[in-house]
Amino acid sequence: MYLTDEEQRILNGECGEPQRLALQVLAKLGEACGAERLVEIASAHLVASSYQIAGEAGIEIYSRLVEQGARVKVRTTSDPGSIDFARWREFKTPAEYAARQLRIAELLDQMGVIPTWTCTPYTTFNVPRFGDHLGWSESSAVVFVNSVIGARTNRLAAYVDLCAALTGRVPYFGLHLTENRRGEVLFELTPDLAADFADHYFPALGYLVGQTVGDKIPVIVGLTRATFDQLKAFGAASAASGSVALYHMVGITPEARTLEEACGGRIPAERITVGTREITAVMEQMGGVTDGPVDVVGIGCPHASIDQMRRYAALLAGQRVHPDTELWVCTNVVVEEMARKMGYVEIIERAGAKLMVGTCHNDCPLQAWGFRRLVTDSGKFAYYTPTTVGTQCVFASTEACIRAAVAGRVERS
Amino acid sequence: MSQPQRVWKGRGCAAGQFEGEAVVSSQPFGFWQGLDPQTGTVIDKRHDLCGTNVKGKAFAFPYGRGSTGTPGIFLEAVRNGCAPAAIVNVKSEPMIIMCALLAEAFFRVSIPIVDSLEGVPHEVLRSGDRVRIDGSTGVVEVLSRA
Repeated sequence: MYLTDEEQRILNGECGEPQRLALQVLAKLGEACGAERLVEIASAHLVASSYQIAGEAGIEIYSRLVEQGARVKVRTTSDPGSIDFARWREFKTPAEYAARQLRIAELLDQMGVIPTWTCTPYTTFNVPRFGDHLGWSESSAVVFVNSVIGARTNRLAAYVDLCAALTGRVPYFGLHLTENRRGEVLFELTPDLAADFADHYFPALGYLVGQTVGDKIPVIVGLTRATFDQLKAFGAASAASGSVALYHMVGITPEARTLEEACGGRIPAERITVGTREITAVMEQMGGVTDGPVDVVGIGCPHASIDQMRRYAALLAGQRVHPDTELWVCTNVVVEEMARKMGYVEIIERAGAKLMVGTCHNDCPLQAWGFRRLVTDSGKFAYYTPTTVGTQCVFASTEACIRAAVAGRVERS
Repeated sequence: MSQPQRVWKGRGCAAGQFEGEAVVSSQPFGFWQGLDPQTGTVIDKRHDLCGTNVKGKAFAFPYGRGSTGTPGIFLEAVRNGCAPAAIVNVKSEPMIIMCALLAEAFFRVSIPIVDSLEGVPHEVLRSGDRVRIDGSTGVVEVLSRA
């Protein structure tokens, strides 16, 4: 692989051991994946910021790098941690577990990482531009910035993201190249489904698409509009049930002004029709509604935006969460502060819901709660929480989630 | 050096040498939520190897199911000496290759990875086979059958 003079100097150790090690990993990865060179990145985002992912190995790696003077070279933000830094006792996190997460926070801080603790860094201090090359992990954020913003990043792995941050570079392969960003599988919505496309169909469709395409690039045809949060929900679900890192929605996302453009001039042979029947079937698979009590409701996956906080507040105003049910609203500290200023936090908390900031149901140890049934409006939660939280999952609209929290149960309507 | 019964040529994805026992599955595998890094035991209840220990073995599975958190679990297993010592895939995705590169960079442990064998790994290899794997040349040899 071609290395510039500067990269060669880094590899020779002239810029210190952390950069040398990081560049060595990136160069070998590039060689294994057929990259001809490295490319400079505008920013990085780190997924091994949670103790659940990094573990003791992560603490050992970070400690060694900090001792060797590691500093990030580009704007770098952190994914959720495994604790709510302000309220971990309320969430019954064991103190020794919280201490290990705090140690990771200290080490990332010493390397110059911006402690956003969020899967939606693009709502805080890491906002890529169209065409920017990036070194990001966190599957839901990768799919968002590739698809909705038109920035370019592969799904980096834990620690490889840090190698990118330390050197300001990634290997130039995969989604960094225009020819690899063409749509490969076409999903056509039936007119009746498209005409009446409910908010929670976005994560459901994402789940269906991810399951179908694996890591290929899907193109969605038939929708005429989608909000920021609906695109976020769709992508997160597709990146969980499959490994989607980029999708196109014709007429909606920036590299898909037309079907031609989305497919780079080559319309794929593989076409799949999605109608009401398919959407209903996938929602059943994500977690069908069966009558009965609910222990915990999870909304804000990926982390809630200010628009979603406003919506939650409107739905919860004057309501009261059932005493046997927990309603946790996951978001980041930036949105939390703004939502507080705007009065939404007060309404949400007065209703008996809890804000879970900088982490989520998926990243936190929740064994102490003994939850059995979770209700969520997130396709990503629907995919992971049966394993991470160990609960049965019910997938429902945001409104139905809040109704379930208030009633303490779900009922098939 | 023992004479191999069969030799398969594939693509070397991560350098390193291995000689020992194979554990083989026909199902894709994800380390995240799939492996207990404290023991090396498969814990994914949906997987056919659930309950099997892959510590120190050549782990053959067709494809990775790769969450971006995969190296977190993988390196924790490496640090505990409980990771598989070699990997054979139909196709090794970048996520798995990254795991081996990171293990080498941060823990100086080489885990050879080979993919694209002339035969399908879970058809040409059986759990319990004694195998030799060269991650540079991509050669997989069966030394003795289970």
